[in-house]
Amino acid sequence: MVQIVKTSSVNGPGPTEWLLVELQGEMMSRQNSGLAGNLMGYLLYTRDQIKSNFICHIHMGVPVLIVGHHILYGKVVKLEKPFAVLMKHSGLPQGEKVPMEINQQNPTTYSISPLIKKKLIFNTRPKPIITNVPKKL
Amino acid sequence: MSRTLEEVQATIQIAKLKENDLHNTSHCLTFGESVSSGDYCLMELDDTLCKHIEAGKSLVIRGDQDERAVLCSEDKTYDLKIADTSNLLLLVPGCLTPDQLTTDNQASSQLVHAQIWGFSNSYWELRKRHPKLKKLKRLLMENPYEGPGISGQEDVTEGKYTMGDLLERIQASEEELEAQLQTIHACDVNGYWRLLDFDYEMKLLGHITQLVDSESWSFSKVPLRVSLEELGRLEPQEMIEHSFNCYGRRYTDNDEVFFALNEDKVCRATAQMLLQNAAKFNLAEFQEVWQQSVPDGMGTRLDQLKVRMGSDWQLRGMGTRLDQLKVRMGSDWQLRGMGTRLDQLKVRMGSDWQLRGMGTRLDQLKSLALVDRSSKPETISLLRVEDLPEDTLERFTHLFTMRQKWTEEDITPYIQDLCGEKQTTGALLTKYARLSTQNGMKVFNSRRLVAT
Repeated sequence: MVQIVKTSSVNGPGPTEWLLVELQGEMMSRQNSGLAGNLMGYLLYTRDQIKSNFICHIHMGVPVLIVGHHILYGKVVKLEKPFAVLMKHSGLPQGEKVPMEINQQNPTTYSISPLIKKKLIFNTRPKPIITNVPKKL
Repeated sequence: MSRTLEEVQATIQIAKLKENDLHNTSHCLTFGESVSSGDYCLMELDDTLCKHIEAGKSLVIRGDQDERAVLCSEDKTYDLKIADTSNLLLLVPGCLTPDQLTTDNQASSQLVHAQIWGFSNSYWELRKRHPKLKKLKRLLMENPYEGPGISGQEDVTEGKYTMGDLLERIQASEEELEAQLQTIHACDVNGYWRLLDFDYEMKLLGHITQLVDSESWSFSKVPLRVSLEELGRLEPQEMIEHSFNCYGRRYTDNDEVFFALNEDKVCRATAQMLLQNAAKFNLAEFQEVWQQSVPDGMGTRLDQLKVRMGSDWQLRGMGTRLDQLKVRMGSDWQLRGMGTRLDQLKVRMGSDWQLRGMGTRLDQLKSLALVDRSSKPETISLLRVEDLPEDTLERFTHLFTMRQKWTEEDITPYIQDLCGEKQTTGALLTKYARLSTQNGMKVFNSRRLVAT
């Protein structure tokens, strides 16, 4: 039984690179309404600071995640072994009848996402955002 | 539910972050509509596979229900192993990293909307492995090819496999499969890959060696065209040529095609032919019969060589070394180096120049036969590595059940194929066997209890 993994052409539609965001723990929606369609949060990056020499280098381009009432600091990591996402597609379109040989099943194919070469990892403890004065949006 | 830039900036303020410290591009991350549905998985790739995928080449996952799936590129095979992580991995197409952000312009703040396409707690690790090829021989043995004369065979498709059939069933890459087909001397007969029945294979080889003998050709220079003309009356020309390809090396000289028969391969095949009909053979008797069975006709033995040492003719004795031999290559005298082959030697037998025939040596039989020097008289029996279990632990158990103690020299040919990349047989022995000394000699026995 064979399953084909097709690599999409490099010039196909969509972004040419995906990003992986690694978080500790679980994601849950507030009212248990499921995640689909909901906002997760905001991703910000600290600005490269060229003001003074040494200290600022550590804080260049640090990713900051605001999720709910938490703020998390992370880092950009280049993956030693890149990832790819394999998306399964079931076999023949429905309604088609093909005489089946023994041992032959609907061919399964996969397509591959663009490669994931970098990740943002947030593994420090989230800090709570304390709101003293509720701000009207 | 998309947020506006103002909402984001307000949140930043509440979080007590300074806008000045932040890049002016912010991302708003939302879960996509089909984030929890959808059949997908994450796969970790090595450098080779990355390049392969970026070149647009495809991969194949192979495996029946009862087999562990493997992933194949065009020339390599990988094991698939699930790795779990306690962390959550979010997949975000279109999300940018700092180095990808456009140069900071304090004046214009931007908001990028990025969708979280999916997430996972696990991923597949790919580990390069040996192709699983034992099944190939098993399938092809269902219907070995015995020659064209066997009536009624042509229409039967049972137990016959095309390349496509094999690619469906064998867990190996196409290149590895093709290489193995060559190694086991399989032949494409009418579009089906067939393993030759051993007797038929020996019959074909026998035709060739007998012709070489009767024509007094050198084994290194067997003319193809003449051979096909002569032997084409006995067997199909394609089969004769197939036998040449299996047992010799093809080359061209002055626009004519010749084959150099491989001494080791011919001697090994002859040994197998002798050994497979008996459980054990008296070693001394075997060696005699074997040498006689090998196409020769000259009875040449290395100690019969009169060799030219300097300008003198001396009978090659125990002390002379092969690398001291000045051998006659064509009409020149050259010092026998690494590249010259013994079967190219024209040796001076008495006063004549005769081409040295094939010489059998026990070391040609590594991974094919096992010598028992502890029995009286010493014996030899057939033991082929391809008949042994494919799994490493099973292989060692089998070997130690057969024989309790093994010397490194004896066991190495039977574990060589188990070595992974950069792995040595020594490492395997350290892991799966126990070293001890017996009569001053290093021997290996099993780490676990096996019934012998």
